[in-house]
Amino acid sequence: MTYDIIIVGGGIQGVATAYELAKRGAGKILLLEKTFLTGGSTGSCAAGIRAQFGSPFNVKLMARSLEIFENMAKELECDNDYLELWQGGYLVLAYSEAEFEGLKRNVEVQHTYGLKTNVLSVEEVKKAFPRVNVEGVYGATYHDRDGHADPFHVTFAYAEAGKRLGVEIREWTPVDTLLTENGKITGVRLQDGSSVYAERVLVCAGAWTTSLLKTVGIDLPLWGEKHEILITEPWERLLGPMVISFSRGYYIQQRPHGSFIMGIPPEDPRHWYRPDEFDFSSSIDFLLRMSSEATNVLPFLKGVNVVRQWAGLYEMTPDHHHAIGPLEDISGLWVAAGGSGHGFMFGPVMAEQLSKWMMGEPMDIDLRPLSPDRFKKGALVIEPAVVG
Amino acid sequence: MGRRITVHPVIEFQKGAQVTIFYEGKPLPAYDGDTVASALIANGIDVFRQSVNLHRPRGLFCAIGNCSSCLMIIDGVPNTRACITSVHEGMTVEQQLNKGMMP
Repeated sequence: MTYDIIIVGGGIQGVATAYELAKRGAGKILLLEKTFLTGGSTGSCAAGIRAQFGSPFNVKLMARSLEIFENMAKELECDNDYLELWQGGYLVLAYSEAEFEGLKRNVEVQHTYGLKTNVLSVEEVKKAFPRVNVEGVYGATYHDRDGHADPFHVTFAYAEAGKRLGVEIREWTPVDTLLTENGKITGVRLQDGSSVYAERVLVCAGAWTTSLLKTVGIDLPLWGEKHEILITEPWERLLGPMVISFSRGYYIQQRPHGSFIMGIPPEDPRHWYRPDEFDFSSSIDFLLRMSSEATNVLPFLKGVNVVRQWAGLYEMTPDHHHAIGPLEDISGLWVAAGGSGHGFMFGPVMAEQLSKWMMGEPMDIDLRPLSPDRFKKGALVIEPAVVG
Repeated sequence: MGRRITVHPVIEFQKGAQVTIFYEGKPLPAYDGDTVASALIANGIDVFRQSVNLHRPRGLFCAIGNCSSCLMIIDGVPNTRACITSVHEGMTVEQQLNKGMMP
């Protein structure tokens, strides 16, 4: 069986790119997922979407991604309730004068790209968000189009729209090895021993990408890093924005469903390159640190019960940006992974721009600086506004 | 009090002193050692809350504090599990009709 493009990975990146490629007439597309759609990092993520970044590159990308999220229901023929799109904003709190200055510089970049981010004094935060404890806070920034979208439903909506355009999706189909011949990709061998062939292969396998590329001798400095999240019982709407601090690391948001979803980065994360190292266990350490931070910044959470906690993998790169584009060493092999904790929110715009790149159309936002080969050339891209 | 089990092959019930709880403002007899759920059921009340989406009646289900079926507003606090909360004199108990309003 021969396809034009095989996509490995059924998270937001793979599924959205499959749809965007099909929309642009890329031919026969097969998407392979080793478990179920959203079974990897997409399905464990915190569902936040924000344009409040600091590098012009990321701001530009996320400004476009928010537009895509805002028009997604129409584009994918579903509705915003299904997508659980909620734009209650992100309230970014600064805990020192220097941090506040840094956030203000980010806002200047955001204004350049048409975003209407506000800089708020402590008094303004107290007035607009009376449930937020401003002790130790020097100021904040707020962008009202940031917010939340459901990572499961967004991915499923892309999958359904892709299938309507002829994309073939196979779940529970792990890929074992990439296949090459004379420096050119020819397809993939599945774990059951059978092979599927294609002109091009796009690997969107999150933290599992590294081990797959290794099967054809490529070393990508992309590792998995365990991050934990918890979710509470639902309450009626109490909190509009995602409340987040880059310096303290926490992020807390009330979902449209009413539950509070929150995370805080590990203190000393390990770098995992091989899937047999991945650990998804939940820790009491996370639960304690998270509860303590959360009830400090949002004291009303003391009366809210935790329902469950889980772990997922950030797919990290040395400069915390995606590795996206073709690999120089093997013709026809493409990669799109390494969202570094932001893979879900960047997914729609990355899929859109990558599909244009793969189809030889001009990109609206040039992704070439994020080429996976930049690491061996030392051409890193820097972003100041990240958690963990 | 016909719904109260008094004789059980395994468990011995120790009925405590009588207390009064207020269900939707109405006084009801209960006994020390009762959970809110057992006191309500003994008084013929089976509906504790409404489901959050379709607003259907919900009552006791797991009875061990796991399932969220019996969440009520108890002493003014929403999302309190009637099945594992012990009664006390003067306790107020209300049906919960939504996901819980924070004061």
